[in-house]
Amino acid sequence: MNAPDRYERFVVPEGTKKVSYERDTKIINAASFTIEREDHTVGNILRMQLHKDPNVLFAGYKLPHPLQYKILVRVHTTSQSSPMQAYNQAINDLDKELNHLKRVFEGEMTKHPREY
Amino acid sequence: MEGVSYQRFPKVKIRELKDDYLKFELRETDASMANALRRVMLAEVPTIAIDLVEIEGNSSVLNDEFLAHRLGLIPLTSDRAMVMRFSRDCDACDGDGQCEFCSVEFHLHVRCDSDQTLDVTSHDLVSSDPSVVPVDVQRADSVGYDTSEQRGIIIVKLRRGQELRLRAIARKGIGKDHAKWSPAATVTFMYEPEIHINEDMMETLSLEEKREWIESSPTKVFGLDPNTQQVIVIDAEAYTYDDEVIKKADSMGKSGLVEIYAKEDSFIFTVESTGAIKASQLFINAIEVLKQKLDAVRLSEDTEEADDQFGELGAHMRGG
Ligand SMILES: [Zn+2]
Repeated sequence: MNAPDRYERFVVPEGTKKVSYERDTKIINAASFTIEREDHTVGNILRMQLHKDPNVLFAGYKLPHPLQYKILVRVHTTSQSSPMQAYNQAINDLDKELNHLKRVFEGEMTKHPREY
Repeated sequence: MEGVSYQRFPKVKIRELKDDYLKFELRETDASMANALRRVMLAEVPTIAIDLVEIEGNSSVLNDEFLAHRLGLIPLTSDRAMVMRFSRDCDACDGDGQCEFCSVEFHLHVRCDSDQTLDVTSHDLVSSDPSVVPVDVQRADSVGYDTSEQRGIIIVKLRRGQELRLRAIARKGIGKDHAKWSPAATVTFMYEPEIHINEDMMETLSLEEKREWIESSPTKVFGLDPNTQQVIVIDAEAYTYDDEVIKKADSMGKSGLVEIYAKEDSFIFTVESTGAIKASQLFINAIEVLKQKLDAVRLSEDTEEADDQFGELGAHMRGG
């Protein structure tokens, strides 16, 4: 009767930002990103991609609570970079990796005969 | 703003490709990517499923909501789903009408007038869109069944005088919302095992000991070469990372007889589709959906600009 709508798990409510950014007040080049309505799927690939960046000193994500449909991504970089730059770079690299993956998979499909 | 790219270039090798089954190797990427793709295939690749049922008449033995639930679970051919709209953000309708952008209408009217029980199946559903119809089960799996008798997915059985009449609206949705929208029956991946047998130590075992050691594995990973009597790896992928052969070697006083590693950048994927979309299309759609998700988590320009001012301030503070 008063159950929340199922789509609340994955639809960003009106007036809410998908991603918000908060700079750390004490440490320079450290920040956290709050991503609304995302979970381990995006959190973990972002974290792992950030780890590939040598300017990233720390990258981690957490899902604070299973009923709060958001994740927190925390990034700490060297002075050569910034959390925002590292974050954008990670997304671009993941996007390019997926483009590549799609291309090679479709290439494999044309090579592969249909089995029955 | 430009940084160096740390992009990976994964490799794919398809082993088996059928309409509803796909097995392939994914290499040169990490577990986070493999797992993200698996999770997206299970819960975020859209399909079409019955979501709203208006019962016009039901004298069957099953109650209305039971039938509505069963109808929802019937897989519908969903090649259109990627380009369709979700009802909740369709502006062409109120979300509950017959709108070609976000919904497909079905009708069902069956009445039993004989003494034989009548099966109401998914074949009795009449679709308003020829591209969105119940999945044809018999084509996918006709072996061992009398194809003339076994048709479609049974919804309910009727006896003489019973009747079922309804109207149903199918909508686009994702498995995260309700499992009826999941296009995947199963999606799994495993690390490719790398097995090294210490051949010198293996030769110190008698034939009987070799057999005993081979038998200690719960799955058939190792075997004996019939000619040379040497222990060989028959099927590395049958290994379930159970450690039994390692424990057995230890108990025989032969520690280090075999070493098994999981190759952390090589995965073997198995994808089984419900039939709503082809297994290969399911993987392609998962890549597309994951790309869209990543695109959605990009920082908006106003956020970046707001920080740029801060950034200069920060640079001053750092003495830059
Ligand atoms: Zn609509």
